[in-house]
Amino acid sequence: MSFPLAAALLPLLAAVPLGLLGTPRQGAMANLLLCGVTFLLTLGVFADPGAGLVHADRLGMLFGALTGFVGLTTAYGNLGFVVASLEALSLRRWRLYHAMFQLVLGACLLGLYADNLGLLWVALEGATIAGTVAVSLTRSASALEAAWKYFILGGVGIALALFGTMLTYLAAQPALGPGLPAMSFSALAAEGAALNGTLLTLAFVFLLFGYGTKAALAPLHGWLPDAYAEGPAPVTTAMSGLTLNVALIALLRFRHVMQEDASAGGGAMQPGPFLLTLGLASLLLAAFSLPRRRDARRFFGFSSIEHSGLAAFAFGIGGAAAIFGGLLHMILHTLVKSALFQALIRAASWRGSAAPGHYAFAHLRGLGGEQKYLGWALAAAMFALTGMPPSGLFASEFIIISQTIQRDPLLSLPLGLGMVLCAVPILRHLGPLLFDAPSKPKPAQARVETGLVALHLLLAFALAFAMPLLLFHLLSGVAAGLK
Amino acid sequence: MSLSFSLAHMMGGLMLLCAFALLSQRRLVSMISLYQAEALTLTAAALWQGYAQHSPDLYATALITFAIKAVALPIGLRKMVLRFNLIRAVETVMPIGLAMILGLGLIGIAVLVVLPTTLNEVSLTREDLALSLSVVLLGFLLMAVRRNAVAQVIGFLSTENGLVLAAIGMPGMPFVAEFSVALLVLLAFLVVGVFLFRLREHFDTLDLAGIETIERRGR
Repeated sequence: MSFPLAAALLPLLAAVPLGLLGTPRQGAMANLLLCGVTFLLTLGVFADPGAGLVHADRLGMLFGALTGFVGLTTAYGNLGFVVASLEALSLRRWRLYHAMFQLVLGACLLGLYADNLGLLWVALEGATIAGTVAVSLTRSASALEAAWKYFILGGVGIALALFGTMLTYLAAQPALGPGLPAMSFSALAAEGAALNGTLLTLAFVFLLFGYGTKAALAPLHGWLPDAYAEGPAPVTTAMSGLTLNVALIALLRFRHVMQEDASAGGGAMQPGPFLLTLGLASLLLAAFSLPRRRDARRFFGFSSIEHSGLAAFAFGIGGAAAIFGGLLHMILHTLVKSALFQALIRAASWRGSAAPGHYAFAHLRGLGGEQKYLGWALAAAMFALTGMPPSGLFASEFIIISQTIQRDPLLSLPLGLGMVLCAVPILRHLGPLLFDAPSKPKPAQARVETGLVALHLLLAFALAFAMPLLLFHLLSGVAAGLK
Repeated sequence: MSLSFSLAHMMGGLMLLCAFALLSQRRLVSMISLYQAEALTLTAAALWQGYAQHSPDLYATALITFAIKAVALPIGLRKMVLRFNLIRAVETVMPIGLAMILGLGLIGIAVLVVLPTTLNEVSLTREDLALSLSVVLLGFLLMAVRRNAVAQVIGFLSTENGLVLAAIGMPGMPFVAEFSVALLVLLAFLVVGVFLFRLREHFDTLDLAGIETIERRGR
């Protein structure tokens, strides 16, 4: 068995025993162990990318390893979460919770490694179902509402994506013949020029709205803030953040196929304007929604919409440099956002409870004076999200905006405005978080979780400003291949 | 050849008729019956396409469709309706007539979008695609104009039927798609079953009108 297949199958299969056996603590330990093994497997993919239906191209390798890493650190943070909120769920639901953790992880890896449109679709569908179940776990009225919204919107998205997948097959079938080759990304990209352009355009529209739902691009973003805010925190925030990446990468791959066809005169429309419109809409939507949010998880849900939109915008601009910037942005945002949610969950448990509804910003005031390591780690992660130096996101946003100025100067105005408007609300929350009078000063102690948050942030910093040459070559090779 | 065309089109047309009639129904029991009729037509269409394309895979699709969508799901849904005592008519967001006019518009859009873009395809695929896209869009419309959870689920299932109709019309499409659609329906039913049960506990009815609380709390 090749590494990619093993990395995707292990979590999917392990979900079954996790769902049936063990106490919550045992489940959390087993979950951590499984995530560790999965992370090693995703690293093994670099040595042996496999072949056939499930094999990793360079893009898949890179994001697979990122997914494995975030899964591992989230699973570590999850230990503390389980202990802190042991009473919140019954035994059966804790088991289900850990099973869903693994299912989301496995589905993401399958989606990244699949070289088949159908398999990609199945993976994202599985992630949707697992996500829905996870959101509904707390069984409060608002959690059920959120899960229902997620299910309906996600279901519509999945249905649109399937229709788009079939249209893509129909566009490719005359050139590649009936059967599996017409559903393989590598074959489609190689034969891009021979595909039926008008049909491909129609397919792309369906795929854009289908996978765009999963990537939470406006106007299909409605499920995300609710899902982030209502479910048990680690799975619904950090883990479902990973599915955004899978959907965005799927869009990037389809964009590449369509671009190939368009530039070879196959009759397809340019994919750029579609992505630009949705990306910009998401960015501006987040910019105007963020100031009005009081719940931190919902707030950072909207911030995920912003960054998802930015990545889609970068892919829409096109060209190797912009795609490089977009991919880098996705990597850094994933690292920063998962660190932020780790810190946020710790902070909420410190203030009493990590259950949904305990994440209001008002609830977190004065944390900096009370728990200095945790408070400052949370503040650092929040600051990193603004994209101001020394945050790693500065580098990727700089690339995106300079490419925009070069290729489409007029668009840089709304882009810049959106970025600034999204940064201001985050900055406004930093002051009260750090400098309000602490309510119950206690001796602070640094914990491993806080260290992990710092590790994520440092990694994001290092990747942006001192990128290892190996990664640079890998990423620029991917971007050049996809332009 | 002409017979295979006209039969396939007739079944697609019947499905579209069922999907359209779903829009006009306010009672859940008759919606379920219409859905069942749609699924039965889909079974027949899959069998016919299997025969016309000489592809035994499609017989399996027909079997899955028949067993799950035409038999198991309607039985489950009817039980649910009886258990929750949902015999009365359900609330709609807009007047039925308006919804049907919108539905007509959607069918027009589907035809106008699909037919010009597929000029090179064989006409069987073209028109099947237009019909199935219409069914898919009507399913979405149904989900949008009903406030009741079961009615929304029926809309979703009708959408799935449209997708399968598109898949069986594709020449040589690998079986993956059909299999996964069947899987989705099963899983969706499981998920939905759990939901409905719990929604009942919390809201006392299956009416989702109270869902706006989340909006207020969030701000």
